[in-house]
Amino acid sequence: MKKQVLIGAAGLGLMLAAAPAWAHHAFAAEFDVNKPLVLKGTVTKMEWINPHAWIHLAVKNADGTTTEWMVEAGAPNGLLRRGFNKNSLPPGTAIVVEGWQAKDESTRMNGSNITYPDGRKLFIGSQGTGAPGDKGGDEKGDK
Amino acid sequence: MNLRTFLSVAGFAALAVLGLGSATAQTAPAGKSAATAKTPWGDPDLQGTWTSDDTWGVPFERPKNFGTRATLTEDELQQREKNISRNEEFVETGGPNAHSPAVAALEAKEKGEKPPEAQGRYGRGVDAAPVPGHWGEFARRASHQASQVVDPPDGRIPPLTPEAQAKLDAKMKLRREPIPASWMNWSDYDRCITRGVAGSILPVIYGNGLEIVQSPGYVAIRYEMVHDVRIIPTDGRPHINSNIRSYMGDAVGHWEGNTLVVETTNLKGDTLAIGVNGDGGAPYSDDMKITEKFTRVSPNTINYQMTVNDPKTYTAPWTVAFPITQEPGYKLFEYACHEGNMAMHNMLSAARREDAKAAKGAGK
Repeated sequence: MKKQVLIGAAGLGLMLAAAPAWAHHAFAAEFDVNKPLVLKGTVTKMEWINPHAWIHLAVKNADGTTTEWMVEAGAPNGLLRRGFNKNSLPPGTAIVVEGWQAKDESTRMNGSNITYPDGRKLFIGSQGTGAPGDKGGDEKGDK
Repeated sequence: MNLRTFLSVAGFAALAVLGLGSATAQTAPAGKSAATAKTPWGDPDLQGTWTSDDTWGVPFERPKNFGTRATLTEDELQQREKNISRNEEFVETGGPNAHSPAVAALEAKEKGEKPPEAQGRYGRGVDAAPVPGHWGEFARRASHQASQVVDPPDGRIPPLTPEAQAKLDAKMKLRREPIPASWMNWSDYDRCITRGVAGSILPVIYGNGLEIVQSPGYVAIRYEMVHDVRIIPTDGRPHINSNIRSYMGDAVGHWEGNTLVVETTNLKGDTLAIGVNGDGGAPYSDDMKITEKFTRVSPNTINYQMTVNDPKTYTAPWTVAFPITQEPGYKLFEYACHEGNMAMHNMLSAARREDAKAAKGAGK
């Protein structure tokens, strides 16, 4: 894996507050709490699909090759209601995405924040998923 | 307002014009009170797009210390209102999580420190737990209710029968397997099949919308998350043959004054439950009968009530009630759930990865 582009990764002893629920969007069942990532890349496509939108990101590696990552965002309706729309991330947009890598070590990640090159931020997810920073969501069925 | 402030904080005011459809506020028919508005053919008018968001954070069962007290005190209500305003603020500014927990974790690692505990949602238990994050919806108006269950008077689900308890235990064993063996470990909801009648309306983290459309002799309800649709005849016909079973059952409606009463039977037993997303709680039996009442009490409020009666599962009938309300601009977006169900792919591939690791470890 070519991860030179990553600002950092792996090995953090973050603990989840609650036992993971095996469910629809149980963070711990899908994503690795020990693999926080910050990726810098260019949007190639945004899929406005339920249950969750996915941002496709071309990330240039140090050796000049490119890896395509898929970044999970919130539900389309939720994103829209937070101010996100089809013009937010047109193909070609350079962004920095923060989140956690998939447990199967594929190039998929659960996204939390997006930062544009000039520092402006958009928020895309990672709440109510059991991800670090989420104060639990199991009991309300956010699966 | 939230949106505008959010955008200005994000420094991206050009996004103010939404690209996926214009906001269409739901309004009462001109010249009439929507609470008593009628369709052109004379039925009470329940049509529109509604959500159960305003009950987000109200506990399903009442905390035991409330006893038979069904509503909050003034102080408790103020706390809930405060939580709502904090969540609105969170949506506007990003709140404490504007600094990403992922970045915080990486920075702490560089310094050799323990990662900081990130801030999340506000208010737990009876003090409301709306999701302040970017994925989640939350209540816009503070509910006075101490629980969604309103009957029995203590707001608690009556005890399960021993048979139902055994079914619940078996289900939970499956759900809690450390490394899920297959898709069978997950619920009908997780698998994008259905959330059932109750699961389709009980408030959850997002996707709480439903659209009601009427025609003479019919009321149709389309639910947002997992996209079930019920077409409910109100022409007095009886239920279909009891041999015919389905996830959403056979719904038959009638009008009692201003109230739509819907009785649903012929449900498929031993799979769905009366709880969040149709998965919270014991699977109900074939004998389940769900009686719902929809009463429009104001232009933007329908009082919703659901009584469940299944003697094979519960030792007494019980009732859930909450308002469904309108939010300007809320629209349902097609729920192509299966095609988009990357979560199932990710969870299964993660589990198989764990299997491979374990096998490698055992082979050493």
